[in-house]
Amino acid sequence: MGTDTGAKWVFRWAALVSFLTFPLIWLGGLVTTHDAGMAVPDWPGTFGYNLFLYPMSAWIYGPFDLFVEHGHRLLASVVGLFAIGLCIVAYRNEPRRWLVSTCFLFLLAIIVQGVLGGVRVLFDARTIAMIHGCSGPLVFALGSFIAMASSSRWQRAASTRDGNGIGKLAVFLFVLSIVQLLVGAHLRHSLPTWLPVFFMSLVHTHLLLATLIFLAVLSCSVFVRRGGNRVFRELRVPSNALLGIVFVQILLGFATWIANYATPWVELTPWLARYTVQGKGFWESMIVTGHQATGSLLIVCSLWLTCRAYRRVLLSKPERSLSFKEQDFVPSNYQSKAASIGVE
Amino acid sequence: MIRIFLKRKSCPIANSSISVALWALAALVLGGCTPQEIAFRSNELHVASLSVDSEDEEIKELAELVQSQVNAMFGTPDSPKWPEGIEMAVDFEKVNRSAGPVGRNKTKIERGLYRKHCVQCHGITGDGMGPTSALLAPYPRDFRRGSFKFKSTPIGKKPTHADLVRTLVNGLPGTAMPAFGTLNRSQEYSEDVDALVHYVRFLSIRGEVERRLIVALVNAEDVAELGSQIATKVAGSWSSSEAAVAVVPSLGGEVLGYERMEAVARGKEIFMSELTACSKCHGKAGDGKGTSQDFDDWTKDWTIRAGIDPTKKSEWKPMKRFGALKPVIDHSRNLTLGAFRGGSSRDDIYRRIVLGIEGSPMPAVARKENDNPGVTEQGIQDLVEYVLSLSEASNGN
Repeated sequence: MGTDTGAKWVFRWAALVSFLTFPLIWLGGLVTTHDAGMAVPDWPGTFGYNLFLYPMSAWIYGPFDLFVEHGHRLLASVVGLFAIGLCIVAYRNEPRRWLVSTCFLFLLAIIVQGVLGGVRVLFDARTIAMIHGCSGPLVFALGSFIAMASSSRWQRAASTRDGNGIGKLAVFLFVLSIVQLLVGAHLRHSLPTWLPVFFMSLVHTHLLLATLIFLAVLSCSVFVRRGGNRVFRELRVPSNALLGIVFVQILLGFATWIANYATPWVELTPWLARYTVQGKGFWESMIVTGHQATGSLLIVCSLWLTCRAYRRVLLSKPERSLSFKEQDFVPSNYQSKAASIGVE
Repeated sequence: MIRIFLKRKSCPIANSSISVALWALAALVLGGCTPQEIAFRSNELHVASLSVDSEDEEIKELAELVQSQVNAMFGTPDSPKWPEGIEMAVDFEKVNRSAGPVGRNKTKIERGLYRKHCVQCHGITGDGMGPTSALLAPYPRDFRRGSFKFKSTPIGKKPTHADLVRTLVNGLPGTAMPAFGTLNRSQEYSEDVDALVHYVRFLSIRGEVERRLIVALVNAEDVAELGSQIATKVAGSWSSSEAAVAVVPSLGGEVLGYERMEAVARGKEIFMSELTACSKCHGKAGDGKGTSQDFDDWTKDWTIRAGIDPTKKSEWKPMKRFGALKPVIDHSRNLTLGAFRGGSSRDDIYRRIVLGIEGSPMPAVARKENDNPGVTEQGIQDLVEYVLSLSEASNGN
């Protein structure tokens, strides 16, 4: 059975895996930016070598696309190994079975994600690359959710009725962020056979969704700032993070367009008129990849806000019976408190 | 508001909104994820512009007929080939490196350079109809006319290999055309630009042969007979481009002091004169706000020459179904910004004045020869000084 120390270890492992997944998403983004998905033509090996035995010098001093692709595979393997570690730690220490199952689901998601990456290489299928790119941030979100659920803050969550409205808004934001991710992944993996009108409609949808997300984040921020109690104070952290991320993301979005296609308003200033897009330039690659990676942070932070808000919504219903699943979801300290006031 | 929206579970508007959103999502996933065969696109727009009154089916049929013959000569995007019996105008090993899907083979040699660096804007066929094209200003170049803007050869002649390399290495400021200078300087990728230029030449030759065959077919000529003749002629025009390079006299570097002021004053006089009419398009202040603005040849090709007014949406819109993009005026360059797409050195400006910009409304200046009116050699050099002086304020000089 689990102990406090054991629960802490679950959180530490989950946080570590999530922490490692973010640079993995960056590297994956760089693979797309440099069109390096087929830089290594075989899988699971690398040019006939075992993945871990590929000569370091050939990797480090080889072409940049090979460096990025092989690095992505190596880091993905490390994340996979840590995910196995997380499952073992959770299985041994975590009393909440649903959370243990989620850890195993996370491991499965990482394996599926790895296989998708491999199939993309074996069949040289850009469509699978797109699916791989869409599911990456979702796996990151799942890992982050495990870290959130295993944190001591989750266990110590207070009971309150507040947070209902913000919870729904957060869910709306979470869903919007995922749809935005899908549209963004389509833009990043656009196929050469697409008609210009399809790409143009995707860009317009992306801009529309960005506006909606910005408004939703702004609304969350206003909601949270207007509520003065402790719960709303606790929601301020994810809400502020979202606000910061969405501003950075909008700036990165503009910069991404300019880095890829220059600005449509070249006559505004001599600098814009003289700006020349650098094909596969370092800073251009970082901006474009950063926009994609920040998108995944947006998903994770909206999930964070959703979890914090709904955690309280769930705990704010002591007047009715908790279902079996909800009892499992709620920590033991609350269950004993509920029992003392006569809740079954 | 969202709470109200979510509470109205039975609201038909809410239900229909959700179903529309789900359908849109499904369309996005299916539309975007369905793999399509990579093939060259037939030039329906050119057929349509030559036979405006024909039925859609007839236009598509004609375009397909020519397309099949051109494919037989030049192969497919994944496996291009050079027409038999025609003298090679490209390095085919390099064409092969640029063609096909992106990736490295077992010996680490990279293929698919065109799809890696160019296809999103210029399209698989080199028709300037890549997925991003409709959103870019100016539109990406359609190679199939065989016309290129920034080159060292006169209008009507093909660019040299070095001209195209220069455009790829330096890019075009203020446009979506990137500079691949970084790529060119790195050891691993140093041959990529050269290979890409060979593929661009290949696509241009292929596209121009297709266009000429379409003209022949519309004129009821036997295209089966003409294919080789046309290909020989088009390939030959590329091979002979080096001989057509215009000589740029030594301009002697930067002119300074009083001499410069005098050259600028003389250049301004020529700029404003009726002889060159520079100010008609570029404006009296050189800010590009002249009264005369026009469309480029790529647009005129399927509009004005086909009897369609590009300023009237009702007239040009029907051509969209054949792949036409909205006609956009090719505005004269604002010379005060110092952004010269063909290069900003004295030699570059000299070439633009003497050679013009092919396909754009910018003509080559009339040069004084014998008794013909025109601008003298000294006059052209003065004009170069004046054009450069216009952007000195924005340069901080």
